[in-house]
Amino acid sequence: MDLLITLGPHLLNGLALGLLFALVALGFMLIIGVMEVINLAHGSLFALGAYVAVALVTPDGGLRLAALAPYFGLPIPSRFVVALLLAPVLVAGVGMALEVCLRRTYGRDPLYGLLLTFGAALVLEELIRLVWGPTERFLPVPAAITGGITVGGLIYSVYRFFASAFAVAMILLLWLFLQRTRYGALIKAGAHDSEMVRALGVNLPRLRLLVFAFGTALAAVAGIVMAPIWGVRPHVGVDAVVPAFVVIVLGGVGSFWGAVIAGLLVGMVVGITGAFATAWSLVSMYILLIVVVTIRGRGLLGKKSVLER
Amino acid sequence: MTSGISRRTLLVNGALVGGATFFGPWRHHHVYAQRKDKPILIGLTHDASGQFANSGQDEQRGTIMAIEEANARGGVLGRKLAYITADTETTPATGSRVAERMITRNEVAFLVGAIQSGVANAIGQVAQKYGCVYFNTNSSSPTESGKDCKRVKFVWDGSGANFALAAADNAVRTFGKRWQLLTNDYVWGHNTSKATRAIATRFGAQIIDEILVPVGTRDFSPILLKVQQAKPDVVAAAVGGDDFKVMRQEVVKLGLDQKPAWLNNQQDWPDVYGLGIEAVFGVFGTTWYHKLPLPGVTDLVRRYKQRWPETRIDVPGNVFYNGYMAMWELVRAIERAGSTNNIKVIKALEGHRMSARDRLQHHDAWIDPETHHVQQTVYLAGRNDKPTDQTDYFKILSWAEPGKVRDPESAKTCKLQSYENTPTYEQ
Repeated sequence: MDLLITLGPHLLNGLALGLLFALVALGFMLIIGVMEVINLAHGSLFALGAYVAVALVTPDGGLRLAALAPYFGLPIPSRFVVALLLAPVLVAGVGMALEVCLRRTYGRDPLYGLLLTFGAALVLEELIRLVWGPTERFLPVPAAITGGITVGGLIYSVYRFFASAFAVAMILLLWLFLQRTRYGALIKAGAHDSEMVRALGVNLPRLRLLVFAFGTALAAVAGIVMAPIWGVRPHVGVDAVVPAFVVIVLGGVGSFWGAVIAGLLVGMVVGITGAFATAWSLVSMYILLIVVVTIRGRGLLGKKSVLER
Repeated sequence: MTSGISRRTLLVNGALVGGATFFGPWRHHHVYAQRKDKPILIGLTHDASGQFANSGQDEQRGTIMAIEEANARGGVLGRKLAYITADTETTPATGSRVAERMITRNEVAFLVGAIQSGVANAIGQVAQKYGCVYFNTNSSSPTESGKDCKRVKFVWDGSGANFALAAADNAVRTFGKRWQLLTNDYVWGHNTSKATRAIATRFGAQIIDEILVPVGTRDFSPILLKVQQAKPDVVAAAVGGDDFKVMRQEVVKLGLDQKPAWLNNQQDWPDVYGLGIEAVFGVFGTTWYHKLPLPGVTDLVRRYKQRWPETRIDVPGNVFYNGYMAMWELVRAIERAGSTNNIKVIKALEGHRMSARDRLQHHDAWIDPETHHVQQTVYLAGRNDKPTDQTDYFKILSWAEPGKVRDPESAKTCKLQSYENTPTYEQ
């Protein structure tokens, strides 16, 4: 019982963290599934989402245009909502441009796509540094979702509850989209056999473009939600893309629920080690990954994937 | 002005000197000549990326402003000061590489700059190898003026031990004896916590736990949950740079800033500026504040604003201050020495006293000849509940005379190299 009381809060905290990891990973996974491209720029697009949100929420966040003065007169909650809606759209535009560049790599050695997205990641990070500078920035959040609430004698961050609820909602919406809509069906079909989808008359280039934009927008959304927790700095994308990759491989490449379960597992492991063996907290997810893939080569719920070709 | 040396002669002599340096048994690293028209080149080793990018750029503003002011007064010994900068990336290996390159390729006369103690230690080792005088402007591990001290290195910021000495006794009496340590997992964090542990227990504290905070930690929730579970009277945190920024926001968000009591060892201005007064909590040490009611402070703030109108940090803080003061003292030391020769400059610095008036502090400071650590006034501060303007984050609670917070441990562990074992260096 004492052990449960000691561990309970950390497991709860780990669950919240895990939901956020899953949210980061899902956009990454969609692109791998349909495009068969390991998008190493996913982390930079995550960072870009956070930076665009900073620009849309804080008056000194990058948009120093006099014409925007009335906009910055709006209260923080309104600007936060604008950022949450607009930033992913803007970043999706960048994702679409990247997809156009990627077209020449389709059907070739996956290494070309890998190198191109790696280059894009470096370019995006440097552009961020150029526009916003090298120093850390913070994304203010509405007062209603700040502060702490006491549960079982311990204080928890209200924002983390908000972020967890948001992640759950996003995961469910994404699931419904994939299950219940025509585009969802096409994306799933594309993930299994893109050439067959093309043979059926579907405009595959357009589908790929939309999937890339969608995956990028998800990265940006994750970046915005994580910004008040992780802070915003040019290389924050590395903090996102590495766990995302771990989550996807751990869950099984292409498996939606595998990614969600893996995200939760990684979150709990990081949460527990963060409390009781903090020196190990940053490597704990890799140890978990090694253990799982040693036992199950394709991850928890994985099937044969692009990584095996 | 034209020199009397032809380009060919210069190259031949340069090659001979370079060759002699490389192949010969000599310990001297003279350049071809010390000409009057040759500027004194300062190598600025400030972080521009990594955990301490923000602070690194702030101390750089200080060193550059001092160089410009010195040049406006005619330079030193009839020579202008020039500088080159390189990003030390908050990484010891990079610091070491940058120092090596600045000395061997750029032929800098002096090295100035450091935030992270690992980087400072790395630069110090390279500087000692060549004999180049190095000013560690802002890194504060007690080891920098303790076991890692160097004959060529001078340490300008207060150390973790100084700040702990200034705060621990009062914290034990005011807040309680059950202390928990939060330690950033690198050289400054470890050594500051070690010093805090020793000093606090001497005043009766019990250390109930020490939590290591890996560098680059972005999620402090597991750590803060553990703090809540342990219910300490005091949390003594040695967490720095961007890690501290993130932690501070998390602490304030959770409302943990009031209880337990926080003793944040040291608070660097760039780590808090821009976050708002509400982001300041606990009691912490600093070496300077831009609202100190002392002559000259307002004027420095004015000059800073004039020189750096575009920077996101609107007023100078302690990190800028240490860079600025260190660079001015380097200029004065060269003047006193009448030379850029390293041994002469070192002798001009060792034991040198600096007036409180010149340093814009409450007490005179001096450079400890045993450790090369600047012994200076240490201020304790907390959140300012009655700010006079938007930059007025701190309330200065007290200040300690340098002699009262001098770290006796560093004097015991510091073994400076002899002059004979320090290569002569002059540019």
